[in-house]
Amino acid sequence: MQRDVKIETLIVMSVCVFVALAVTAFVVPFEDDNTRIFFVALAAVLVSINVAGFFMVWKASPTIIDEIFLMTPDGRLLKHYTRRLKPDQDDDILAGMLTAVQNFIKESFEEAGGRLKEIRFENYDIFISHSKSIVIAAIISTKKPEKLRTQMRLVTEDIEKHFGHKLTNWAGDKSDLVGVDIIMKKLLAGKYR
Amino acid sequence: MRSWMELKELLKKVVLLGDGAVGKTSLTARYVVNKFDDKYIATIGTKVSKKDMQLTKPNLIINLRMMIWDILGQKEYSKIRTASLSGAQGVILVGDLTRPETVKSLEAFWIPEIEAAVGKVPTVLVGNKCDLADKGSMSITVLESIGQNLEYPTFLASAKTGENVENAFATLGEMLVTDVVASRPKGAEELPQTLSEAVDFIIQDFCAQYGDLEKAMLIVQHQFEEAGVDIRKPSKDAVLQALEGLAKAEELSLTKTVAAVNLEERQRMVILAKG
Repeated sequence: MQRDVKIETLIVMSVCVFVALAVTAFVVPFEDDNTRIFFVALAAVLVSINVAGFFMVWKASPTIIDEIFLMTPDGRLLKHYTRRLKPDQDDDILAGMLTAVQNFIKESFEEAGGRLKEIRFENYDIFISHSKSIVIAAIISTKKPEKLRTQMRLVTEDIEKHFGHKLTNWAGDKSDLVGVDIIMKKLLAGKYR
Repeated sequence: MRSWMELKELLKKVVLLGDGAVGKTSLTARYVVNKFDDKYIATIGTKVSKKDMQLTKPNLIINLRMMIWDILGQKEYSKIRTASLSGAQGVILVGDLTRPETVKSLEAFWIPEIEAAVGKVPTVLVGNKCDLADKGSMSITVLESIGQNLEYPTFLASAKTGENVENAFATLGEMLVTDVVASRPKGAEELPQTLSEAVDFIIQDFCAQYGDLEKAMLIVQHQFEEAGVDIRKPSKDAVLQALEGLAKAEELSLTKTVAAVNLEERQRMVILAKG
């Protein structure tokens, strides 16, 4: 099953199955009403199980993250994880430009306050989570981002808690980040807490 | 006498500043990795590029990555500039030697602006278009005077001919790593004594230098299996064979020089170990 199937699609499919069974139950010339009711009830039960099953599968499936950038607020790339090889992409420069764009938007809409949290482009969504010392940007091409938002917030808080003191006035030594891989790979796998 | 070589990966943010049209973008164009069009400077106020350098110090090789933020030179856009300056650890200040006012504004405008945003950070001064300026011109005198007063290295450069451009980046790179020293403990008393201790030390050292602990352990496991190293009772021959495999992995992940130095030291450690 594709993981980006919308719950609405699943419900429509189940209703179609129910309607087909119900129509069959009414069209077929049963000898008595009890048999007919039995078939209708059976159709209803099957559809209910179907809907519940689909919903549980959908809820349990993780949002697929295509890429994650872990950056400092000043635009230096700390870590980058991707599911796809992109030989033409320079991750360091992309992280810097992503920060420059955020700066530009922040300054342009200064009166609104706050920070850029989401960018949408065609099939891609970029979710951005901030703390004092880090910024995480996740690129997804599937829907259902609610769980991802929560996970990104938790990851941001945890990295800030464990590495924040090293990243305040960070001298740029990447060996300061030993251990951050474990946290980020769990997020990439959709299994963070 | 043993000579450990440590490898450090450093990432620094550097900004290029100076009046509009002094040649900041042209200075970077030939010497850095560019991925985005110059039009981004006019549209969002910044373009980011990068330059990698390798610097050596006693017992230490530094792979320095400078992320270079080329920022819009028009003085009016102070908010965007301040945001882009945030976290800068080095600055290249550029003036146009054929326009004396751009050199004067380095001291009058740009240096106070930088100090207000990020404090005192390593800075080099570059007088661009030296191929067009007269020797002994007022611009050159003013630029060198600013450099002397503030103790900033000063370069007369030309983006067109390439003169001194690489030198300016290299000098800033060296200034950025002035305080960086090798952290690996040295001294014979710290050498592992037994073969098991040596193997343990080598595994830890390989993982630390490789960076990604998970991948590093998989490589170690694979190489030890290939060489037939019994981790509970290792033999010198098997460990020496595994070291060759680790060195090949390091050639890909680090550099050939570092891999060769590490291999030599690890071989010596294994040969001298008891057991």
